[in-house]
Amino acid sequence: MANNTLLLGSLVTPLVGAIVALIFANSNRLQRSIGVLTGLIAWVFSVSLLVQVHDAGVQTYALGNWMPPYGIVLVADKLGELFAFMVNTIMIGGLVYTFRAHDKCMTYPAFIPLFLLMEVGLVGAMLTGDLFTLFVFMELMVLASVSLTAISDDQYGLEAALKYILISSMGTLFLLLGIASLYATFGTLNMAQIAQILLTGERPILAASSSLMLLCAFLLKSAVFAFHFLQPDFDTKAPTAIIVVKVGVYGILRLVTLLFVKDAHVMEPWLSTLGIIGILFGSLGALRTYNAKRMLAYSTFAQIGFILVGIGWGGTLALIGAIVYAFNHAFIKSSLLMLMGVVASYTKTKTANFGDISGIGSRMPRALGWLVLLGGLSLAGVPPFNGFISKLALIQGGVESGDWRNLIIMVGAGILTLMYMVRAWQRIFQQSPLPTTVETKDEGDSLFAPLLLIIVCLLLGTVFTEPLIQLVSATVQQIQDPTIYISAVFPAGPGQ
Amino acid sequence: MIEFMFALAIGILFGIGVFQLLRRDLIKAAIGFAILFSAINLFFVAVGAFEGDFAPYVSNVEAGRSTSDPLIQALILTAIVVSFGSFSLVLGFVNIISRRYDTVDSNDINKLKH
Repeated sequence: MANNTLLLGSLVTPLVGAIVALIFANSNRLQRSIGVLTGLIAWVFSVSLLVQVHDAGVQTYALGNWMPPYGIVLVADKLGELFAFMVNTIMIGGLVYTFRAHDKCMTYPAFIPLFLLMEVGLVGAMLTGDLFTLFVFMELMVLASVSLTAISDDQYGLEAALKYILISSMGTLFLLLGIASLYATFGTLNMAQIAQILLTGERPILAASSSLMLLCAFLLKSAVFAFHFLQPDFDTKAPTAIIVVKVGVYGILRLVTLLFVKDAHVMEPWLSTLGIIGILFGSLGALRTYNAKRMLAYSTFAQIGFILVGIGWGGTLALIGAIVYAFNHAFIKSSLLMLMGVVASYTKTKTANFGDISGIGSRMPRALGWLVLLGGLSLAGVPPFNGFISKLALIQGGVESGDWRNLIIMVGAGILTLMYMVRAWQRIFQQSPLPTTVETKDEGDSLFAPLLLIIVCLLLGTVFTEPLIQLVSATVQQIQDPTIYISAVFPAGPGQ
Repeated sequence: MIEFMFALAIGILFGIGVFQLLRRDLIKAAIGFAILFSAINLFFVAVGAFEGDFAPYVSNVEAGRSTSDPLIQALILTAIVVSFGSFSLVLGFVNIISRRYDTVDSNDINKLKH
């Protein structure tokens, strides 16, 4: 087994960046530069790793040269690396946003280190091949993002943070419990080895219950319907630069394609059903919210629902659709959240309540309004944006699986997306100001970072569609055969 | 017997932890959170140690005795550190919230609704 240093590099770079940023705690400007620089270096690492994974197959790194199954192994397969690449790209957006933002919390010395630690947690969770390390990285991500929310400018951020940590830690608790049961059953924490034992058709006593616990933990992480209640509060109050990235979706994909392949047919109908409920609930919830950021959070439930339905259908095309959807949605939603953050930054109290911001668009740069409209259209799946590509891919998967009832609901809910996004845009940018509309400031956050992400969305929907679909097709081809992952970790053959 | 005691203790701790976590008082909820974490840590320990096992020293292994699983204990240490970190964060939040809202009753801490 060859150790690939790039793997370690993409994980350690943000960690080192966080520490270096802490050393320069008294110079905020320097810290922000360190943040952007670290993000760029990590991005370069992850791009070259992505290329390598696609050229040469799954890459591994045995930490401390302890060979698996005894040591912790980092594994970059096509799925994990694709998600890690997505995280790194969006993190650059977030770091660039902090560079020019006026939020007070972004001037705290802890902000950039925490932000980079969140990146470590996300990337680590996606690149680790060891279940316990997965738990540690997920907990790291939770603690970092919760701390960021707690220090946010919003006076109720702390309340959201407390809610989030209590509920989210319940999720990681169940993850730990599931991992403990898996260890009790298999005597190993290596994902490849567990998958290998489960592939043989053996069903030890605790396997089913631990799979359920892991599934619940990941569902909670991705804020699916029935596990969703914390997300709106959190997304509304978090500092704008914190971005939705779906570590939970990644975990579910791992569960149904690697660990519990043989039991996937039991989980999949449930995932579809939860997804459909989530689509309806999220879209309708988004229609009746009072706050622009909260609307986006509800819309996230709906979008996660689309992804889950795709995973639930389980066919090749459906999986391609789901992954493309997850990939594209991360970009669209983070750009939209940033745009709403920019809108809110023009108000004195940094609010995004519709009552307060209706009609303030006339006092803002015109480009902002157009960007919000473009983002909204992209989210609703209007060509030529990447939202259209992901919906198209997903619907093709649905046609392949022949599940017409859910397909019709999905397409209908797509129209709801258009409704709430356009309505929000009209409220902010087309209306004349209401008597309740708050005072605005002359200067808000820079538009640069969301503009960057919208351009990425546009490119993904036009020029890069073909490469993206090919990338994801190759990914699905790989994850549909779990033996590729297993033999990359254990090249010497089973049980070695 | 030890195994039974372990199982009983884990069960009771789980029960207390869940009950406390659902209390309205945030401090009790935080304590319940810590208890729940201990229950899971205990479960992890119970997975690796059985009656009649020896401590996993090299001398015991070389003497051919059956030893308990040393990996578990390394994992537990990590899990304890992680749980300690999140517990202290929760307590910090509760501390600031109690000063900002003048209460620790979770029913009164509902400003997010509006």
